[in-house]
Amino acid sequence: MAPMTAPPEIDPALVRAAQRGDRMAVADLLDALAPYVGRVCGPIALQDGPDAAQEALIVIFRNLGGLREPGAIYGWARAIAVREAVRVARRTARAIPAELADVPAPGDPQLAADIRDVLARLTPEHRAVLVLRDLEGLDEQAAGALLAVPAATVRSRLSRARRSFRKAWSG
Amino acid sequence: MNQDWPVTELDPVRRMRVLAAATPGVAYAEKLIPAPFSAVWETASDLEHELPRMVTDLRSFEITSVRGERMTGHARGRLGQRARFDVVLRPGWCVMQSRFLIGGMAAVPEGEGTRFAFLGGLRLPGIRLLDPVLRPAIRPLARRPISRLEHRLQAR
Repeated sequence: MAPMTAPPEIDPALVRAAQRGDRMAVADLLDALAPYVGRVCGPIALQDGPDAAQEALIVIFRNLGGLREPGAIYGWARAIAVREAVRVARRTARAIPAELADVPAPGDPQLAADIRDVLARLTPEHRAVLVLRDLEGLDEQAAGALLAVPAATVRSRLSRARRSFRKAWSG
Repeated sequence: MNQDWPVTELDPVRRMRVLAAATPGVAYAEKLIPAPFSAVWETASDLEHELPRMVTDLRSFEITSVRGERMTGHARGRLGQRARFDVVLRPGWCVMQSRFLIGGMAAVPEGEGTRFAFLGGLRLPGIRLLDPVLRPAIRPLARRPISRLEHRLQAR
């Protein structure tokens, strides 16, 4: 899985203007951050992605004043987006335990084995690990710190999540 | 096998909810209007003619410069007060700000109608402290412009 392409750079002056209460700057920063937050929340929250992205952005903009280094905005926003996406996905109780035996075969017209199907068979926590490692390129330590779990837990979740992808691919 | 990861896109009304939630002291409301998006936005985005009808404290609103989706406007109030507004206007999205005021509108198609959002409020130092009391009290101020827009659409 290819890592996500780097999001467009955000001018630190825009972040500072938004922090000072300039609402046009807030709106511009919202335009800049919304696609990135959507890419993080989508694979974790799946059908709840819009709710997760909306709630993540509310947390991000309510707490923007606390961001000391404007250059760190993507990493800071990512941590909030992952947490909110897991929380929203859990709240709606759509999490299905990762029983992987029934991962559909490729080409099955009823259950096409695309990424969404495989993701839907994982818990939000497993999906968060996949997003952080495979899309965002974080190492196990950094992913563990962000998710408040030991690196070993990241490793086991990742291994389980990847196994499900391999099964789906190999049919 | 589809190897595209699911991506979430945030529509303009959801973005306006974010802006409203993150802006202290604003009135915010949204409503499902039983009219197609094109008709709703054609009316709402005609700022010079329709904004004074929606926001009755305004006597006039004049666009003085346009650079793509960014504009400058001059507002005159009923009591003669004047304000210069920076405006961003594109399909389904409008945000404007003067020294002391902020306003916004957003719209998305929903079923056969249009979900329309309106935001308005003051930019004052310390307003964050008053936000918990102010927000419920001023919510009707955002509902009225939406009702006026609806009546306007019905009259057409």
